[in-house]
Amino acid sequence: MSAALPLPVQLAWLIPIYGFCGVGLSLPWACGWFRLSGPRPAAYLNILVTLLAFLHGSLLMLIVLRDGSYSLSHDWFQTADLQLQLSFELSSTSLASLELVTGLSLLAQVFALGYLDKEWSLARFYGLVGFFEGAMAGVVLSSSLFLTYFLLEMLTLSTYLLVGFWYGQPLVVTAARDAFLTKRVGDVLLLMGVVALSAWAGVMSFEDLYRWVPTADLTPLAGNLLGLGLIAGPLGKCAQFPMHLWLDEAMEGPNPASILRNSVVVTCGALVLLRLMPILQLSPLSLAVLVALGSITAVGGSLVAIAQVDIKRTLSYTTSAYMGLVFVAIALQLPAIALLLLFAHAVAKALLFMSVGSVIATTNCQDLSELGGMGSRMPATTLAFLVGAAGSTALLPLGCFWAFALNVEALGQSAPALAAIVLVTNTLTLVNLTRVYRLVFLGAPQPKTRRTPEANWSMAVPMVALSVLVLVTPWIMARIDPVPGLASFSPQVLAWLILSSVLGLVIGSRIPLHKAWSRPILPLWRVLQDLLAFDLYTDRIYRVTVVALVARLAWWVDWFDRRVVDGLVNRLGRLSLASAEGMRLGVSGQMQTYVLTGVVAIVLLLTSLSWVVR
Amino acid sequence: MLSALLLIPLLGALLLLIWPGEPSVGRCRALALSLLGLQLLMTLAVLLRFDPAISGPQLLEVAPWVGSLGLEYRLGVDGLSLPLVLINGLLSFVAVAVTASDTSRPRLYHALLLLISAAVNGAFLAQNTLLFFLFYELELIPLWLLIAIWGGSNRAYAATKFLIFTAVSGMLILGAFFGLALASGSADFSFNPRLANDLDLGVQLLLLGALLVGFGIKIPLVPFHTWLPDAHTEASTPVSVLLAGVLLKLGTYGLLRFCLGLFPAAWELLAPWLASWAALSVLFGSLAAIQQQDMKRMVAYSSVGHMGYVLLAAAAATPVSLQGALFQMISHGLISALLFLLVGVVYSATGSRDMSVLRGLLNPQRGLPLTGSLMVVGVMASAGIPGMAGFVAEFLVFRGSLVAFPLQTLLCMVGSGLTAVYFLLLVNRAFFGRLDTPLAASRQLLPAIPLARQIPALALTVAILAIGLLPQGLGTLMERSTAALSATTLGAPPQLIASARQEQG
Amino acid sequence: MNQPNSSGVDPGQVLRERLLGGVTLLEESSEHLLEVVAVLESYGHVLDAYSLNLVHQAQREFLNPLPVFRFFNGAITPARLWRHLRHDRINYEYAEYCQRSMLWHGTGGLDTYLDGEAFLASCERVIQQRCRHDPLLALLQRLFPGFLPEQIRSAATASALAQFWRVMSDLFLDLAAARRSGEVSSIAMVVRFIQDGLVAAAAAPITYAVELGGTSFEILPPEAGLTFLVDVAVPYVEAVFLRGTPFLGTVSFNAQARQIPHDQSQFTYGALYADPLPTMGAGIPPSLLMQDMRRHLPPELERHYAGVGRGLGDLYVKLCTSFQKAMFCVTNAAIAGTFPHPLSTRDPGERESNGAYAAAWVERLRIARIDCLPAGESLVSQPIPDERIQPGASGRLG
Repeated sequence: MSAALPLPVQLAWLIPIYGFCGVGLSLPWACGWFRLSGPRPAAYLNILVTLLAFLHGSLLMLIVLRDGSYSLSHDWFQTADLQLQLSFELSSTSLASLELVTGLSLLAQVFALGYLDKEWSLARFYGLVGFFEGAMAGVVLSSSLFLTYFLLEMLTLSTYLLVGFWYGQPLVVTAARDAFLTKRVGDVLLLMGVVALSAWAGVMSFEDLYRWVPTADLTPLAGNLLGLGLIAGPLGKCAQFPMHLWLDEAMEGPNPASILRNSVVVTCGALVLLRLMPILQLSPLSLAVLVALGSITAVGGSLVAIAQVDIKRTLSYTTSAYMGLVFVAIALQLPAIALLLLFAHAVAKALLFMSVGSVIATTNCQDLSELGGMGSRMPATTLAFLVGAAGSTALLPLGCFWAFALNVEALGQSAPALAAIVLVTNTLTLVNLTRVYRLVFLGAPQPKTRRTPEANWSMAVPMVALSVLVLVTPWIMARIDPVPGLASFSPQVLAWLILSSVLGLVIGSRIPLHKAWSRPILPLWRVLQDLLAFDLYTDRIYRVTVVALVARLAWWVDWFDRRVVDGLVNRLGRLSLASAEGMRLGVSGQMQTYVLTGVVAIVLLLTSLSWVVR
Repeated sequence: MLSALLLIPLLGALLLLIWPGEPSVGRCRALALSLLGLQLLMTLAVLLRFDPAISGPQLLEVAPWVGSLGLEYRLGVDGLSLPLVLINGLLSFVAVAVTASDTSRPRLYHALLLLISAAVNGAFLAQNTLLFFLFYELELIPLWLLIAIWGGSNRAYAATKFLIFTAVSGMLILGAFFGLALASGSADFSFNPRLANDLDLGVQLLLLGALLVGFGIKIPLVPFHTWLPDAHTEASTPVSVLLAGVLLKLGTYGLLRFCLGLFPAAWELLAPWLASWAALSVLFGSLAAIQQQDMKRMVAYSSVGHMGYVLLAAAAATPVSLQGALFQMISHGLISALLFLLVGVVYSATGSRDMSVLRGLLNPQRGLPLTGSLMVVGVMASAGIPGMAGFVAEFLVFRGSLVAFPLQTLLCMVGSGLTAVYFLLLVNRAFFGRLDTPLAASRQLLPAIPLARQIPALALTVAILAIGLLPQGLGTLMERSTAALSATTLGAPPQLIASARQEQG
Repeated sequence: MNQPNSSGVDPGQVLRERLLGGVTLLEESSEHLLEVVAVLESYGHVLDAYSLNLVHQAQREFLNPLPVFRFFNGAITPARLWRHLRHDRINYEYAEYCQRSMLWHGTGGLDTYLDGEAFLASCERVIQQRCRHDPLLALLQRLFPGFLPEQIRSAATASALAQFWRVMSDLFLDLAAARRSGEVSSIAMVVRFIQDGLVAAAAAPITYAVELGGTSFEILPPEAGLTFLVDVAVPYVEAVFLRGTPFLGTVSFNAQARQIPHDQSQFTYGALYADPLPTMGAGIPPSLLMQDMRRHLPPELERHYAGVGRGLGDLYVKLCTSFQKAMFCVTNAAIAGTFPHPLSTRDPGERESNGAYAAAWVERLRIARIDCLPAGESLVSQPIPDERIQPGASGRLG
């Protein structure tokens, strides 16, 4: 049967392997096997395999556009009633996501050549990015919940390792830990869901699960718990409230990884949720939770973003906010719109992060209040920021404009409040991006931005390439075709959208900007700014709740273990076993004592044995 | 053939003890390694001749023994014991390979290690309860000596504690075996679940209870675990490797083979309680591990937590969960052996295992970068990250147990999440950050660890990855036996029936 | 390190006394002499390569938007390409890094000149010439008027740095030769040698001209009066030795954490301050330089390193420490050569101003890595690489 498949399709399982191969290819350099030459070959090899993955994906895309979808399955493990398969689906949607993943990975890796040009642990970085990319490529192609979970966990691991890349830096250490643990909480809950589904449904591929859902006979409690478990994984991956803090901290990691994390990694999380959507029908509660959390994150994230002074963090919160919008769309059964939004957001956000990376590399600074006046000197960076900002909002008819319009159109009748949230998010994001643009690129240069030549070519080229891509997103989106066509929205929606954008632009260009670590004077503003700047003090809330609970429990268990359990044992030993004293003496004595004691013990046991038998 | 697995190390031990003169550590190690290598090869030969389609014991070897008792020397291997024999072969080899070159009294040291290897193989291969018990006890004395002579500063306390706990364990087990023989009125010590079946349920429960506590000490399960952290902290690295990797498995093996295998009816009755006990053990071990400052104690407590999964799986006793239990035994054996090896390297290099003083060991120039990298792998494997052995085991255990004991399974999964917490603390504290060790105060450098010394750890890492990526081979090996064991639970628990019905429907 | 040490002596006071007494900061010892001279020799070779490449970049890759082959110095052969791909080459990225941080910190005469009318006028000429042949560039220039001047500033800094490094490279290689000939045999003589070299070059002019379309454009003309010591060497020391830029591997860039000072003059990330321990770790840029020096390590020094610490296993950390010692000598020479008055003066006013000058330096150096300055102590590695069984565990039994 498989002989009939075209060769690239038969070899489709290689696509995630390309990335994982990068790990192996990097190892010789990461381990320092070469004394006198540097680690760059690892980078070149990783870029090469990523290119291979991209080209293989493109070839598959051509084949799938011609022949229609394929699905592949490889047995992995089976025992008794459990069958686990590694199955892939090659459809135009999954391959488009694959191209997004590998394409952005490729650009980010080229970008990293420039951004990390003075980094000696380059091989480890590229190896980890390869791992990252392999896991993501697998996730987008996977058509089995088991494989998806498998790869999502790998993604968690590689996030930990990538965020912890600069392991010598104290804040990196805590950031890596928090990223891992937050995602891990989501993953364990997801694992509960996966295990439950596997036990109840007995199947793991999405198609089979969809078929099982209508026949499922679950109590509402079980259904809801299942739904909540399943959404927990994507919630963690996409940094949704209340599991959003890690993305902020993860900004301690290298910028090229941040590019991927804020664009394609969150997209992977959302795609998984998209896959789970039909199963979530079992749990109306989980859908409601998705809408609620998505809305909170969209608005809250956008507000928090405006209060950030760190250039990377201000963007990372908008990522959370956009994922919130995607989650709302998914919860309301608008998969096509969710996909468009994901795609448009991913390319635009990647571009924004590239631009920001170039700013950081040039100025050694991430503090917005210390930047300024770079616009006239850095064309590629400035254009990248402008295009990225336009692409991720509804100001110009670029990617997000169409996605927002369709979203508002779809929600306008059924859930006007949610449509308003989309518009508000758009406004707030525009306020923020305008603010950031003014702070970084306009105004008078500050000491740290007095001398800012444009970034080197290996950062500039990916920026320009991606800028072009963002500019043509609407065309690509029209090609991959949303349900009723890209422009199928009413004039009212258009008016609302333009209104919200213009409002954002105006507010953003009017709000006063604070320079150089200054703080507002009005107490109310101060409190509000602090509240938002420190992300509603979520980390402190965590510390006094979850962290304190676990720490307290651990302390208590340890105390109980030492005092009660072990104390009891010791007391028993001291009271009843005088021989223990003898043995204690014996230890400091001669070797013979040991053997003797041992022999006595055996003899005693054997005697008791024969006594019992008799 | 199976006898060779016992006789080779046994002969080696004798040879070492009667070897004339005072041989050097190197020579003793070479002899022990070659014999254990031979044993490992024999084990592989057994693997080749093993037929996974047979559920019962195969490659039987029988010889008359104590005729008056109706006892015979009877060895056999099935899907339950073969993987454990394999891992014993591997880890014995690893343990000898990492023996310190300045070990005192090397003859005795290596002889005892060989003796343990022989006894453990004997216990896994024994086909009647008394023979099992004999080997079970035989392994105890050498281990006790290894801790008592070559242990750390507090070794007397730890060794005595170990001896008392394990002696109690042995007596309870022996008592139960004899009790079973007496009560059933037959001097048949073979593995026959029908023996207990006709007994009064109260007697069954009593005997099962004795076995549970006996094996519970060995596994160990909370609250019988306190000997383990002490024994580990005082034991030298090779002993810790064997203790965690192989000897604890005697307990879980006993749990499956004797508790579940001989008393299916009583087991079924106790199963919900056992599952709760498992959850308690998992959570207790994990939470206690969070609080530890000593790396070795942390790994030891993680063992307490992780062995709890086996009890959960055994309580559920579905084919999948029992597979999971065996996978967990293998993967825990490999992973904890790896972790103990690495902690041993850290300890030998820095003179400390205290996570409040060790920092930044990943430093590429003056730290222990390879050890650190392998530690990250080991820790992630232990936390159940896919692609490594721990995940396969945990997934199977949870998948197999969820329907029978949903709440307990979920609690155990929380424990799996906690593993990440404490092991991340370990890696973050000791390996990340700027290099700092107690030696730095005296302007001393850490010694560089030669690559050759890391080969055992690398080999274990490869094994962990191999099982994690391609588990089917191991699964096939065990499938029939676990299925048969699952079937012995004569009247399956009602939950199981329900689930089976659901799966059909 | 700014705490008084165990003997109760304030290290700042010690530094001050040594500076004013004409004693070298680095203590005399044969080991120090070997380390400093040998490291400076390998550094000399590296600087030679850096300098050649920066000259190439400033001249041949001037305003090239895609300088893909900028590290080839114009000679692109298959063999060199292969070596480049294998990364079997000097890390010119480090030279660019130094150039960028010099430009970014922007101190001294060169920086002032780059903001002046004369410079902007010469930029204008260059830009007009380029835009005439390149309409895209002309458009870019219209939209982003600051872009090309900033690129030219960058190139000018590269050229100035190349000229500075040329002098230093020759000086360091001469120093090695002088030691071999026995002319230099103590740390004091090393410092003296460098000081003399700096003084000799102090007034050398720094100029820069590029040839475009057959015409030569003077970007740093001789008339600007830029000189070696004041306009390039001092800003270089400021930017690279003292201030530096924060390392991603040790400092958080998080704006809310505020680990990086707002004021660049407060930066203490330079070569004299950097922690040698994480060398070759992640996010430590000087690793590149260490690797380059490793490739040119004199055998004598390699033999010396093989005998201390972990031998070749922690060579880079030792190399970095030696490099720091050498840089202290260079700084020492620079300070000694720039005292306002001779140290031997008896005039109290002059002594006071010398004292103030020394105090200003000490204030900055006291928190630097001055723990590498004393002679003698070298780190020892533990002899036993095996697991150590508890002492006494078996002794009594054996």
